Amino acid sequence: MSASGRRRRGALNSGFTMDETVAEYIRRTVLKIPRHEIMEMLTMWEFLSKTQLQTINVHQIKEKISQEVVELCEENSASIKQAAILDMIYNHTYRNKKVWTVYQMTKAAGEETDSFNLADFKYKFKRSLRSALKNVTINFREYEDNAIWIRIAWGTQYTKPNQYKATYVVYHSQTPYVFISSLRSSLPLLCQALVHASSYHDIHEMELRSRCIDSLKDIVFKRYSQTFQTYHPRPLQERNVAPEKVDPRIIQENKREKERIQRVNQEVFGEGLQPKIEFAQYKLETMFKGEPEMDILTEKEPFRCVVKFSSPHLLEALKSLAPAGMADAPLSPLLTCIPQKARNYFKIKERKGILSASCLGP
Amino acid sequence: MRRSGRPSLRRRQDMDTSDSGGVTPLGRKTAETGINFTSTTRFSRGLTFIRTHTLFGQSPARRIIPQTCLLQENADPQKIAFLLRKQWTLYSVTPMYKFSYGNLKEYSRLLSAFVAAEKRKGLAVEVGNDLGIKVTLSTLLGLKGTDQDQVAILVQIASRSQLPCENAEDKVVWSGWFCCISGDDLLESVPDDFTCLSLFLANGAESYTAIVGSWFQKTFDCYFSHLTISPLNLAWMAAMWTGCKVDSHMAATELVFSVPCIPQSLDISYAIHPEDAKALWDTVQKTPGEVTQEEVNLFMDCLYSHFHRHFKIHLSATRLVKVSTSIASAHCDGNIKVLN
Repeated sequence: MSASGRRRRGALNSGFTMDETVAEYIRRTVLKIPRHEIMEMLTMWEFLSKTQLQTINVHQIKEKISQEVVELCEENSASIKQAAILDMIYNHTYRNKKVWTVYQMTKAAGEETDSFNLADFKYKFKRSLRSALKNVTINFREYEDNAIWIRIAWGTQYTKPNQYKATYVVYHSQTPYVFISSLRSSLPLLCQALVHASSYHDIHEMELRSRCIDSLKDIVFKRYSQTFQTYHPRPLQERNVAPEKVDPRIIQENKREKERIQRVNQEVFGEGLQPKIEFAQYKLETMFKGEPEMDILTEKEPFRCVVKFSSPHLLEALKSLAPAGMADAPLSPLLTCIPQKARNYFKIKERKGILSASCLGP
Repeated sequence: MRRSGRPSLRRRQDMDTSDSGGVTPLGRKTAETGINFTSTTRFSRGLTFIRTHTLFGQSPARRIIPQTCLLQENADPQKIAFLLRKQWTLYSVTPMYKFSYGNLKEYSRLLSAFVAAEKRKGLAVEVGNDLGIKVTLSTLLGLKGTDQDQVAILVQIASRSQLPCENAEDKVVWSGWFCCISGDDLLESVPDDFTCLSLFLANGAESYTAIVGSWFQKTFDCYFSHLTISPLNLAWMAAMWTGCKVDSHMAATELVFSVPCIPQSLDISYAIHPEDAKALWDTVQKTPGEVTQEEVNLFMDCLYSHFHRHFKIHLSATRLVKVSTSIASAHCDGNIKVLN
């Protein structure tokens, strides 16, 4: 296929030369996409026509594929806006690659919730950001679950926006929650724009962070349940299964204890699949108290330490500790309260000699 | 194997440069280069520790902390400083046959050629191009446990600078050093032709380590094996290093545990404020200059019990994989890093 012919045709037809930075950005974005996803994402993009898409050969090396895509974009006079949308599609599909922090917006006392108007929101948001910062690229994309994705590329007074370090914001208009990732600076600007556009009064960061944004949503929207599994429906496991052919000479010594642990674990964690978070951090400032015979430290000062738990699927790992014999059942409420309290960063202080998870602010 | 205190050792709690007596000139010099005299003592101490019981597989019930300065008068502070703040992978080496300290230049030449040849394998290279690699073997004076110990050897691979200018420095791409710390028990039983430098520490690309290792194995008929550090020894290190006084900024005492036997892997990092950790250790340790197994166990049990009180998890059932303090950090895979 005459790739060069394509280019010449494009240049002749429109007289438009696509910006080099845009071309490079599209090229790099396409390179990121795994081969088997390329066609699907380009179709979702709806920027290249069906005939154009058919000309792309996905069985060659990715450098060549991305080059072909760039040439087609040249034909269609792609601007940074289209390039940003392709990037948003990629990041929506691979949203679990980023670390998301949850923010909650609050209304002032007495304020009523107005009905949400998308166009109004977008206008106000853009105006708020642009009034503070000229060089910024803003794009929106809506999804079926009422999620509004916002992509912001930040520049400075003198430099153009850096497309490669964009911030992503996910806002569910029916809720006060916002999920933000990849934010290096400009947090106050962004917060101000969000609050202004959504007609809220204030916004604060929750102590909740994870890669799995869907699990974060489960936690804050209370879509998981600790007693009945509702969100991730699984066929009920048969309880009265015929016993396996176990050698009758094998006796379970602590069968009752094992059953008790299972039961207590179930009560505390619920039967459903746990929301997926990767870490939890506890800053402890409690008094040191070992076993009675170890009454060693007679310090009046608290014993300061920081404990971090990390795992690909933390809550499932914690759930399996008691059955494995590494922890008592029930597990400490400090750990089991994570989905309920919707936080995974804690500061624990001694209170009147009784241990309690007083979740103080940062 | 008991490390018993020797009457010739002077016992002191801390080494200041001021009361170094006969080594005052060196003391002044180290102050200039910014190395703490005591830190190198701890460095040797840490190594003695690793060597004596990881090699022999036994953990003594009681261990005397050598309080004297193990740094000899002829130590080069700059070379010692070079060893700090790097991650070293540990290997244990069997005694080397017919190794001679007088032939270091010759060994450098031979090893350079060997490294160049190995690197060239599989590459189409013009004749005469030496890939700009230079290997040097030198002695590392001053790192000895006792006078009977062999002098440490430093091996460095440097890549020649590509710049044409005259005094462009070569960049060191890989370092390794052999040492023998307080091995006099073993030295007594070793025949004359053998040199006992039983601990090898490597920093740099794994490929270079393999090449250097295989040259030494072939040339001196010795054997390198990876040294791992058991959780028991890591606990000792945590306790002993926590107890050390550090003048500069103190970092937290951090213990990292890995939980086995569950479907999802789980890592727990337990970092204690350095002052609080030291306070706890000071209440546990009874005799200055001497540490017992019971004291280490008690220290760890206190930490476990404080943890259990909050989280109901038995840390003693998990595996201690890494220990990190202001002095040094050690990983069970046999990596150590001396910071101070």
